[in-house]
Amino acid sequence: MKKPIRKGKITMVITIGIACFALVLVMCMQFKIVNEADITSIENMREAELQTELASWKEKYEDANQQYEDTEAKIEEYKQTKASNEETRNVLESELEQVNMSLGKTDVEGEGIVITIKESDSEDAETSVPSDDLLSIVNALKLAGAEAISINDERIINMSDIVYINSGDFVKVNGQRVLAPYIIKAIGDPSYLESSLIGNGGVVDTMRKTGKDVTIDKPNTVKISKYNDDIETKYME
Amino acid sequence: MQNKKVVAIVLGIMCLALTAGICIQIRTVNGTNTEVSNNYEENNLRAEVLRYKERYENKYKELEKAEEELEKERENSVQNDSELQSIEEQITQGNKIIGLSEVTGPGVVVTLADSKKDISASLDPSSLLVHDMDVLSVINELKNAGAEAISINEQRIVPTTGIICGGNIIDINGQKVGAPFEIKAIGLPEQLAALERTGGYLELLKSYSIEVSLKKSNNITIPKYTGTINYQYAKSVNE
Repeated sequence: MKKPIRKGKITMVITIGIACFALVLVMCMQFKIVNEADITSIENMREAELQTELASWKEKYEDANQQYEDTEAKIEEYKQTKASNEETRNVLESELEQVNMSLGKTDVEGEGIVITIKESDSEDAETSVPSDDLLSIVNALKLAGAEAISINDERIINMSDIVYINSGDFVKVNGQRVLAPYIIKAIGDPSYLESSLIGNGGVVDTMRKTGKDVTIDKPNTVKISKYNDDIETKYME
Repeated sequence: MQNKKVVAIVLGIMCLALTAGICIQIRTVNGTNTEVSNNYEENNLRAEVLRYKERYENKYKELEKAEEELEKERENSVQNDSELQSIEEQITQGNKIIGLSEVTGPGVVVTLADSKKDISASLDPSSLLVHDMDVLSVINELKNAGAEAISINEQRIVPTTGIICGGNIIDINGQKVGAPFEIKAIGLPEQLAALERTGGYLELLKSYSIEVSLKKSNNITIPKYTGTINYQYAKSVNE
């Protein structure tokens, strides 16, 4: 009688031993998988995110490459024109022209869109601060790649502000008073600019839903006039 | 007999537990396997992203060197002509205003941080966070107060800079930056400090218990824009 019981006990011990071993193994695997899931930014990205990330780095690289080649070309030009003041002047002036364009000191034209915001007649139009709408539109246009923007012919430059003067109930852009209807011109890819505004949740989409009269035109060429004042700096070096 | 029953029951439970464990494991492993095959493609993409990032960074270094060289070359070329020198100065000055070179000067540093209040206890959790519109409004007020150069978390504001909200982070110049937002501005410090006035945007943010601070400083350095400004659509018109 004694032997079979022993045999049974041994079998049991072995079985439990194997079971414990298997369990521990399973737990270890589990821990490993959980650990692997805890990884940093780029490793965590999904395919779609990676695609956009890749596209943005590619674009950045190409932009930098383009600019590098331009800069090299300019260096070459300066080297070649060193002998003659007249030629150097030409190179300098073309460079200045580019700078002035970024500053907003030149008239520019190109493809783009024209947005018109009319003072709404309808009673149920929600009142909102017009300067906030204008600020959002300008920001959305910049995000959509606008290269030049103006509001009622006030050119938006790097230092432009758009504020609402409570006491007088009007908007000031660049310190100049602008009145409704507001006409915003922007140069850039027209369909891209437009869709960034009228897409679901876009600024113009939201404005229209609150009863505002906003129209968008896409003329063949948009002309944007230059910033009229001198751009002065006193504090930065 | 009694003993045998207990052993049988214990073994039975154990087998059940093990089977369940193994089943779960197999399911998890199966799940991971499909992910692994996906991962293969994702890994390729990841490598590609890193490769382009590195290429960009190298190219950018070359570009910086070339720009320095260009500046030197330009200075050399105009040395003996005062008229040309004045054009050269206009270019250098213009680049500072656009944001293509680093600038220093007096000004203020404004810091905006999400509220420390318990979000779950708030009726409107969104109001406790700093949004793109908040940053945009503060920038606009700084410009109104005469700021000559502005940066947000070291991202220089240039004429083409747009600001967009994406969850808890804000995208500026295509770079993602997170709270707290440190906004530096160069200008007359006393005038820029007017942002703290009653009825100003900073006061409004404070009323939503957003952490706001404004410090004047005599020496602020604002970095240059680390991207490129290209014009594809706009062309200068000369009258």
